[in-house]
Amino acid sequence: MTENARSIPAPLRAVWDVLTSLKLTIVCLAGLMVLVMACTLAQVNLGTWGAVAAYMRPWIVWWHLPASTIVLPVFPGGALIGAVLMVNLALTGLRYLEPKRRKYGLMLVHAGLVIFFVGEFISAIYQVDTRLAVEIGQTVNFVESPRENELTITDVSDPASDEVFGLPEQLLARADTIAVTGTPLTIKVRRYFQNAELTNRAPSDPPSMATIGVGTQVTVKELPPVSNDDHQNTVTAYVEPVAGGVSYGTWLVSNVLGSPQSFTHEGRTYTLAMKPRRWYLPYSVTLKEFRHEVYPGTDIPKNFASLVQLRDPGAKQDREVLIYMNQPLRYAGRTFYQASFGKQDTLSILQVVENPGWLMPYIACGLVTLGLLVHFGIALRRALRKRAALTEATT
Amino acid sequence: MVHDHLPFRPGSKRPISPCRGSPGGCSRGRAGLISGVPARQLKTLSSLALASSLFLAACSRDEITHFKVPKSGGPPAGAPMQPPPGMPPGMGAGQQAPPGMQGDVPPPPAPDRGMHWTLPKGWTEERTGGMRYATLKAPVQGKADGSVVVLPGPAGGELQNVNRWRGQIGLPPIDDAALAAARKVMASKAGKISFYDFTSEGHTKSRLLAGLLEAGGQTWFVKLTGDEAAVTAARPDFMKILESLHLD
Repeated sequence: MTENARSIPAPLRAVWDVLTSLKLTIVCLAGLMVLVMACTLAQVNLGTWGAVAAYMRPWIVWWHLPASTIVLPVFPGGALIGAVLMVNLALTGLRYLEPKRRKYGLMLVHAGLVIFFVGEFISAIYQVDTRLAVEIGQTVNFVESPRENELTITDVSDPASDEVFGLPEQLLARADTIAVTGTPLTIKVRRYFQNAELTNRAPSDPPSMATIGVGTQVTVKELPPVSNDDHQNTVTAYVEPVAGGVSYGTWLVSNVLGSPQSFTHEGRTYTLAMKPRRWYLPYSVTLKEFRHEVYPGTDIPKNFASLVQLRDPGAKQDREVLIYMNQPLRYAGRTFYQASFGKQDTLSILQVVENPGWLMPYIACGLVTLGLLVHFGIALRRALRKRAALTEATT
Repeated sequence: MVHDHLPFRPGSKRPISPCRGSPGGCSRGRAGLISGVPARQLKTLSSLALASSLFLAACSRDEITHFKVPKSGGPPAGAPMQPPPGMPPGMGAGQQAPPGMQGDVPPPPAPDRGMHWTLPKGWTEERTGGMRYATLKAPVQGKADGSVVVLPGPAGGELQNVNRWRGQIGLPPIDDAALAAARKVMASKAGKISFYDFTSEGHTKSRLLAGLLEAGGQTWFVKLTGDEAAVTAARPDFMKILESLHLD
């Protein structure tokens, strides 16, 4: 430790020593290995997203004690280990790497790694994964979430356009009352189910919480949420719109109930429906052609390709784009990947990723590569000089 | 919310030890890059803490969204996503599906597989939304209510549904053995149909005919119930409807 570093107060010095400890680096790397293993195994039951949400994204990995409601912290989550490792890498570099030319390579490597971790945090926080499904000849200008739903309240009173308000299910889960800005409505969330089974109400069933609409004929049974890639939750809620002090009854909304239900307040008609979260785009995509190639004599996919027409009047764009495997369309901050297809190859499904940090892993890899090249170049030069000096001395 | 969104997907990173491959680069006790300015070390720590806080504060994924979209002008359509197993046609998410910001966008494709049948002469149908996929009307005297209902998954199970129907016409519940005895299996293009025919006791008898079909993770219920005489008169045609069931 340097003279000045010793001037740091003892408690802070201890923190400084821990954060710049190389043992901490090893512990973090070992912790990540354990998490990756546990997360991989958990995908069998939880599915990819469920396992990532349980092990990689949280600060702490929690364990539900069987047959109880007790939840115990059992391991640091990916976020915590990643954050500690990021801080450790940055501070270790600051502490140990001298500002000398022969260390430039290692500095670049450290900088690259820190950028990589920062990029992962940005992706985790800001990345939005959605999908765009379009049939041949059709035009779509919105993307929808494959996993998240929203309570959509639509003011359909205007003959020319609709005002669509989306209340994310996360909001329904945690809020009792939600004021819908831009409308006189307040939504009281009477009950929210992340997953449920809906059945026709039998005479012996208890009275429905719904007082109006289709929900009065339906019995809702709460189910444990599913996170399998092949299953989706039946997101269901009982909501009560209130406007101007008047209640419009308690309605059942669920993503398996198709028809929107409606009520009228002061001459304006509002519909209620639970649907996948949707974001409208200022541009549209028309599917002109879809190709699905397989390896000869098999059903094994070889390539999927979508020929789309991208129209963005605001940006004066009107052009054809071919999207195929590993060749996405990048436009206006979103990346459109060919993801799936359906309906006898007439429906193309594009995965749409919006990630402001998408460049950071590339920058990080570039810096690490450059740093290693610089470092080994310097080491090689030094070794060659030593050998030349040795040769000179012995001749 | 913010706090559960954080990074690291399995296999997406392979952190490298800062000392790996750097002989001497990380040896303990060497002078650091900013060794002469410890205050900057603290600043760095503070900056990192601040950055973390900003990350946490920045997450706003549960905000209410608001869009103004032109009306579609056409019939309501389902969401364009591949539906999850168990999401039936009449229950697909979203119906209004506004066409787009430019106003020239047709409704998105309806992704679900629909159930179809051939209506016998004189019968009428009305497609409705929600759980009741369609209402069927038979050209008979008396009360006879026909319905096509679709629910995701097993919809509570066959026994439970049959007992619920029996309860609706005043019959007691039955067990699995009696269920098997009451079941008649029919073939259709949409798959095998479990058919049940129950008539109530008492002075004014009710009769219930029901076909139950599982297809594509959904359970379809095609039912005719009402006065015994009316349902009996409509039974031959109702059986034809069941036999004609087929999916898209």
